[in-house]
Amino acid sequence: MSCPKTEHLTKEYFSSGLSEVTKQEMESHLRSCELCNQELESLFLVQSNLGNWQDQRVPHWDRGMELYRREHGQNESQGRVFDFWRWLPTATSFAMMLLVVFNTNLVIGDQGVSLSFGDSSASSDLESRLDVFQNNQQAKLAEFVARIENRQDSNNMQLMQVVFDQTQQTTAENLERIYTFFEEQRLQDLEDMRVGYQELANNDYETIRSLEQLAQYVSFSGEVR
Amino acid sequence: MSLIDEDEALIAAAVKGSSYAWEKLVKRYEPRIYNHGLRLTGNPTDAMDLMQEVFLGVYRNLHRFRGDAKFSSWIFRIAHNKAVDMNRRKKLMTVQSKADDDFDILDSLPGEVKTEPEHRLNEQELNLQVLRMLAQLPMEQRLIVEYKIFQSLTFEEIAELQDMSVNTAKTRFYTALKKLKVVLEEANVLSQD
Repeated sequence: MSCPKTEHLTKEYFSSGLSEVTKQEMESHLRSCELCNQELESLFLVQSNLGNWQDQRVPHWDRGMELYRREHGQNESQGRVFDFWRWLPTATSFAMMLLVVFNTNLVIGDQGVSLSFGDSSASSDLESRLDVFQNNQQAKLAEFVARIENRQDSNNMQLMQVVFDQTQQTTAENLERIYTFFEEQRLQDLEDMRVGYQELANNDYETIRSLEQLAQYVSFSGEVR
Repeated sequence: MSLIDEDEALIAAAVKGSSYAWEKLVKRYEPRIYNHGLRLTGNPTDAMDLMQEVFLGVYRNLHRFRGDAKFSSWIFRIAHNKAVDMNRRKKLMTVQSKADDDFDILDSLPGEVKTEPEHRLNEQELNLQVLRMLAQLPMEQRLIVEYKIFQSLTFEEIAELQDMSVNTAKTRFYTALKKLKVVLEEANVLSQD
């Protein structure tokens, strides 16, 4: 199944400069004809695929320069001497160098623009402004340093106070602990001494009892004899 | 100063012997001519040959350029004639030839692009796809597609360039697109398999 208008329509569709009437007729037909629509869409797809081309860079070549120069009777230097724009970068550099060498000053002020070379009132004015600016900067810097020092001192004092308090507290706690330890040791020593005396007393008592038994035995032996 | 005016100024200076103007003129048009040649011939070597022949032709005939047409139209007329001549001599990019096998587009890429492998691969794939499609067309249809799609010429301009009627240009373009449609459909079927 095909539409007799497909070929004509698709051929004309890619033309430029179609009249408004022709365009409207085409659009009208495309709205009602599925076949022409499909054909046109598939051709657009082809166009779109071809449009994926990415331009490649040109490989290096001499651009016909050798031939050009040979046929125009130029060598490297001749061809360029009179092309003044080739000298433009060099001339610019030279001009910049001159500006630096001659200490050129361009001052744009309320009275207009003035251009001067070497030392001038403009440069002295600039120097005096620079001096004022430098002095201001130094004063600000000194003030800033003083503020930092003050703040640093204050911080140091606070820090020392905190450290001192903590150290004092720690020392007191340590002394308390040592005193308690000594007290415990002393009590324990007393207890040990008491036990020792008791044992010693017991031993003495045993000794006395033994001596008494021995005396009794001796006296008993004498009586027997 | 518009581009056309600038072209004319460069041409005038180049005719008078300014090598700088000549170089600038060549630099301006060489990307278009080279890529035009790449699509027509399918390989960088032939594209370079074609470009050099075109600029040689431009150089030989520059003094004859009167400025009654755009320089771009004039240079593309030369390019067209050179491409037809070259095709007659070498049978450029006939089907199943260089576009599939010998063509290595990497040769034409500069070092800078080589630092981006993914980008480069993608670009290469896309361009190869275009070249494979164009390789299926005979030269006269390939030229029409080139002028209509890549150079955005009107059918009237193409007809004048190729010395044919506007209707023939339209018919040839339509025939070429229909053929490429089939090529694309076959390629899609193959890729789905």
